[in-house]
Amino acid sequence: MNFKFNKIRVLETGKNTASWNMALDEVLMKGTTEVPVLRLYGWEPPAVSIGYFQRLNEEVNVKKCANLGIDVVRRITGGGAVLHDSELTYSFITKRYPQNIIDSYKLICDAIIIAINKFGFNAKFSPLNDIVVNGKKVSGNAQTRKKNILLQHGTILLNTDIEKMFSVLKVPPEKMRDKLITDVRQRVFGLDRTFEEVVVALREGFREKFHAILIDDKLSNKEEIETEKVAKEKYSSDKWNFGR
Amino acid sequence: MRKVHNVLKSQKLIKITLEYDEISNTIHSIKITGDFFLYPEDSLDKLETNLIDTKLEKNSLIQKIRESLDDSQAFGFDSESLTKAILGCLIH
Repeated sequence: MNFKFNKIRVLETGKNTASWNMALDEVLMKGTTEVPVLRLYGWEPPAVSIGYFQRLNEEVNVKKCANLGIDVVRRITGGGAVLHDSELTYSFITKRYPQNIIDSYKLICDAIIIAINKFGFNAKFSPLNDIVVNGKKVSGNAQTRKKNILLQHGTILLNTDIEKMFSVLKVPPEKMRDKLITDVRQRVFGLDRTFEEVVVALREGFREKFHAILIDDKLSNKEEIETEKVAKEKYSSDKWNFGR
Repeated sequence: MRKVHNVLKSQKLIKITLEYDEISNTIHSIKITGDFFLYPEDSLDKLETNLIDTKLEKNSLIQKIRESLDDSQAFGFDSESLTKAILGCLIH
């Protein structure tokens, strides 16, 4: 699908806490202009995010996360629980997008696929929301639409640490755990590239896909202040995180 | 009143927490969670509200789910699988 943006605002916001990361996506979504935003970022400390429709206590061993210094947060997008550790996260926010949901996922995932394939892989879109390399998931994506603005965020796996993932996510009884770990290990794929290398590739992927000029930018004071506020009042709160 | 729980693996996981009236066999309250996608997201609250007082039998549930999600798009479940997940609560 051809889709052109003249410009894309690019924000490389570094590694931040889970509440700040999710707050910034929300703030950017509310303030989006005609110029779409591509945000590239990581998580420090590592974090588990759960989907909008998930229940934190059902999915995550919250106590263990606290002991390991892992943040927990609920997203405004659907989908499953994700451990954000050895990976890069992107967000893409736009006012102009295909109304068909699968088409819109594919459109943005195409840019990610171009980026991944720059490393010599043969990545493909796997509807609804995954990107796979040789049938193994390398990227999971989720989107929401509010007031005609689309936010899609997703992760690109750099390395896989399935044991760590299962140590903080609630999984079936112990006797099934080993089989599940083996199954998941066979179904996921890390790029084995650095964060910085993938940032460069993603920039190229979005530039090529949308024939756009990338405008490097920083957060405005207003965006920073609002993000701190939303992080504190919403994404750090039990009311939101345990809200379902 | 009886509280029950069920998990169904459809295209995505559907988890149901159901409180129902054993005499009238109707839903008192229901919470639907899982790793699915639903647009717009607040359709789920509407669905959960609409399901209250619905009879726990296949046709009534499917009809109510279809009506409630008429303007929505769900990925990872459909009215049949959601009905199956709800009725599965009664087996456990």
